[in-house]
Amino acid sequence: MLETKNLSKKFGGLRALWDVNTKIEQGTIHGLIGPNGSGKSTFFNLITGIYQPDLGSHINFAGQDITTRSAHQIAELGVSRTFQLLRLFLDMTVLENVMVGYHCHSPYGILSPIFLGTKVRKAENIIREEMIELLEFLGLAEFADIPASELSGGQKKLLSLGRAIAMKPKLLLLDEPGAGLSPVNIDNLMDTILTLKERYKLTVIVVEHVLKLVMNTCERITVLDHGKKIAEGTPEEVKGNRSVVEAYLGKEMADEEIRRVFTG
Amino acid sequence: MIELLVRINNSIYNLSRVHRLLPWLIAYLVLLPLPKLLEFVLSDYYIDLANRACLFILLCVGLNIVKGFCGQVTVGHIGLYAIGAVSSALLAINYGLSFWVSAPLAVLITGFAGIIVGLPSVRLEGAYLALATLGLGESVRIMIAVTPALGSSTGIMLIPAPAIGDFVFDSFERYYYLVMTLAVLGIYLSFAILRSTTGRAFQAIREDPIAAAVVGINVTMYKLLAFVISALYAGLAGALFAHMPPGYLHHNNFTIIEMVTLLLMVVLGGIGNIWGGVIGAIVVTIIYDQTKDYYFYQPLIFGITMVLLVVFMPRGIGGLLGRMIVKKKFIKNHEDKVIDFA
Repeated sequence: MLETKNLSKKFGGLRALWDVNTKIEQGTIHGLIGPNGSGKSTFFNLITGIYQPDLGSHINFAGQDITTRSAHQIAELGVSRTFQLLRLFLDMTVLENVMVGYHCHSPYGILSPIFLGTKVRKAENIIREEMIELLEFLGLAEFADIPASELSGGQKKLLSLGRAIAMKPKLLLLDEPGAGLSPVNIDNLMDTILTLKERYKLTVIVVEHVLKLVMNTCERITVLDHGKKIAEGTPEEVKGNRSVVEAYLGKEMADEEIRRVFTG
Repeated sequence: MIELLVRINNSIYNLSRVHRLLPWLIAYLVLLPLPKLLEFVLSDYYIDLANRACLFILLCVGLNIVKGFCGQVTVGHIGLYAIGAVSSALLAINYGLSFWVSAPLAVLITGFAGIIVGLPSVRLEGAYLALATLGLGESVRIMIAVTPALGSSTGIMLIPAPAIGDFVFDSFERYYYLVMTLAVLGIYLSFAILRSTTGRAFQAIREDPIAAAVVGINVTMYKLLAFVISALYAGLAGALFAHMPPGYLHHNNFTIIEMVTLLLMVVLGGIGNIWGGVIGAIVVTIIYDQTKDYYFYQPLIFGITMVLLVVFMPRGIGGLLGRMIVKKKFIKNHEDKVIDFA
């Protein structure tokens, strides 16, 4: 589904990402973990075209080379993401937020609204109904007409997920979906993500600091540290990996203790 | 007051369910006898004022598309207005084209100019973009002021009035029917754009360009499109201004002061709010006209008003009212639900 070869990114003298080779299989949930500043967000930004990778990098998505494509072209291919800081369209209504997500699938041209056609109105009604259905699934339907800025934190999080789903993606990148949520809410969120994955047949990559969430749901995990890939494998394999534990907790702590904390 | 607005809003909604164009038709029919009324109560002069208000409505609605929907701070709009006015006037005088040919051509020319004004927006944002567009807008005026072929200091005179057969739009009253029709059409179109994928893309770019790109919006193209659409509005307003009786235009009509007036209208009405822009255009045109005796203080008053507005009422009149209506509806819906539960 997604394959990166020698993926690198330098910011001035700082190597944010260093020759990362990884492969994400179709239909899996793939975890991406690592301490702060290890390059997880940079990885997302490179794949979605927000940053351009350095020379020599290759990103392959669904059989196409997307290394040099711009963000909107990659989105059109079916890669969608959420942001750590959500980046919702706060001044637009909740419904409009998800409708923007539908942008690529809009069945009429950009200038057709000027010609007052019935086609546009019919298409708009269909889009609206479909999006309200999505909001109902997320439990946000009753807020459809109020500005996104007036939602609570958890609802905003759901809405950002809804916007990403509205794009009908093949690959969904979630940037810290659990940040700032209580343990109960995290469980609910994980259920929602799993349901969405089944319903829309998604491949999912999750960046997350809440390790319990990653260990319980991801089929494979990639661990980054200082921009380098230090481990990859099933949760069990990663848990037992000495360098992963060191990256998180330092060399001094005893293995036994470490593992206990780590599995929480 | 709010109750009344909610009620008006609801009745408009009910009318639009009968047919989506019905509220517009009713609004149009209500506005049609306005010049007769103005002439009867006040004088001919106020019809001219209404005409100018309609021109400013077109300009405001256009500026709102690029500034309000798309969030690109442009201060060169009045330059586009000038391009529309001068090109239509010259096409009509030099090539003897009728208004119905020269005006669309002028609108197209202005659209191309819109691309040029929009190009800096690809790289620049906020205050820097404002400076760049300000330079472009002002250079258009200076160009007109120094080129004899474009009117220079004497201006362009004897611009022919538009005509359909024998019906010549040569009086204030007759011209009103033309500008008012086009203004209503312009407002309607701007709603059509706002409530489409295109309009949502504009708003998404305003809110967050990165998130917009990630959902698949071609940010550069949509920014330019917003500039072009707003330029088309400005070009139409300009062409209408050129052919308006007495058929005379001068570069003094396109100064930076006019631009500030235009910005004040949009800010007062509410940035990004179509009805707000319309309200702003009408209110400011009337105030501008009524305070003509204090000509020297006008820029000062306008400047202070703008600062106060931005600080205390950043959403303007339209934004304030719109939000109140939405909130009222939301609360009412919730109360209904609570009653259902009980």
